[in-house]
Amino acid sequence: MTIFLDILLCFGVVLIQATFSTVLSAKGIYPDLCFILACVIGFRSGEYKGLMIGLTVGLFQDLLTPGGIGLNMILKGLAGGLAGVTTHTFSTVTSPAVLLVTFALSLGCGLASLVVAYPVVDAPILFHALSSGLLPQGLYNSLLTLGIFWLIKFIDPSLSMVHLGRGPR
Amino acid sequence: MSRSEPNFPISTSIRRVLGVIFILFLALLLFLPRQSQEWLGHVGGPFARILEVPLHAVASTQDSIRHAWNHYIALQNVWEENQQLNQEVQRLQGEQNLLREQTIIATQFQQLLTYQETTPMTTLPARIIGRNVSNWYRAMIINKGNQDGIHPEMGVITDAGVVGRVVRVNPTTAIVLLLSDPNVAITGMVQNSRDEGLVQGTPQGTIHMKYLPPLSPVQPGDPVVTSGLTDDFPRGLQIGRIHQVTKADTDLFQLGEIDPIVDFAKLEAVLVITSFQPSLPSSLPKSTASLSP
Repeated sequence: MTIFLDILLCFGVVLIQATFSTVLSAKGIYPDLCFILACVIGFRSGEYKGLMIGLTVGLFQDLLTPGGIGLNMILKGLAGGLAGVTTHTFSTVTSPAVLLVTFALSLGCGLASLVVAYPVVDAPILFHALSSGLLPQGLYNSLLTLGIFWLIKFIDPSLSMVHLGRGPR
Repeated sequence: MSRSEPNFPISTSIRRVLGVIFILFLALLLFLPRQSQEWLGHVGGPFARILEVPLHAVASTQDSIRHAWNHYIALQNVWEENQQLNQEVQRLQGEQNLLREQTIIATQFQQLLTYQETTPMTTLPARIIGRNVSNWYRAMIINKGNQDGIHPEMGVITDAGVVGRVVRVNPTTAIVLLLSDPNVAITGMVQNSRDEGLVQGTPQGTIHMKYLPPLSPVQPGDPVVTSGLTDDFPRGLQIGRIHQVTKADTDLFQLGEIDPIVDFAKLEAVLVITSFQPSLPSSLPKSTASLSP
């Protein structure tokens, strides 16, 4: 049942991303809701679930993007897993940690996507992608993740009490 | 017992006199000049004022009762009716918006269908049901897939011009990469100078026309159309207009920047080119066309 709900959640998020991306865009920058979902689940439930949700939502996203199947699956899986690892690395998942980790992961995923998506990546393209795509999107993604993190923490205050060595929650 | 006498005895003659005076007074009232009547009016005015008070009180009470009846009791149903009418107005406004939206969509489809009927290509109309799922591709999702005969590499257009190319097909949906994406490249031709080049998107979202001959007299504002050299688009479909032409000293070719004729952000319906006859322009005589190998 949980797996079914997780799949349903991933499906819903991809659907929202495909349908309401123009509504969510800020000056042409779209938040990557699939990435945010993977990170939030990683922070919330640990690396295993973050990885699994990331792989699933990435697969769904790959089915609706022009690129080959697998890139988003791997990147979102890694993002979810690494976000989950953060819950084991830091004794307490704090807001700055969420912000920094999400920003770094978003930047990494963006760079990997850039290399795969564009036929030629030279210095001007990289500079343009960084200034008008990667950095703003990283900031947008991390702020949204932080907002959702706060919301979940408000509902479930035990989220910030993940201690080293306790394993996935 | 004898009949009792009144307390103030008045003789009969005096009564008669008083009666006559009273009749005369009445007659005087009727026949007095206007000035005397006014004087009498002034004398009676205060009494009239005193009489007015209860009259006004009664009238205002009547008014109050009538007002209460009209506005509070009789209008209770009107208030409910007003609420219903307000709801009705809101519902009708919603319906009006819906109809307006449907009219706009129908008009767009009508334009596409008119174009579809007049063009020699075989096309399939499709609605856009999704947009950029990822920041790294400029793409959209249409509601037709391989069940409808859509295949990868098919060209996508509107009645205005070229939109992009189908890159992935699912059973009931297909993903179209827009012309502004760097992964799309089609052959184009400057309509005035007949110079050909490669039309390709850029990471910045603009569209470039590469490999224009160095001596080509291409000017800003020149229309660019498809050249028909690739399999997915027939010749002569509008792509856009040249915005500016640049050539660095070290470059072998000129580079044109194109303003696309289609506003990709406002697309709602498109036509997918399922098949067309790749031929020379119909204006050429058949004998010339038959010369081609």
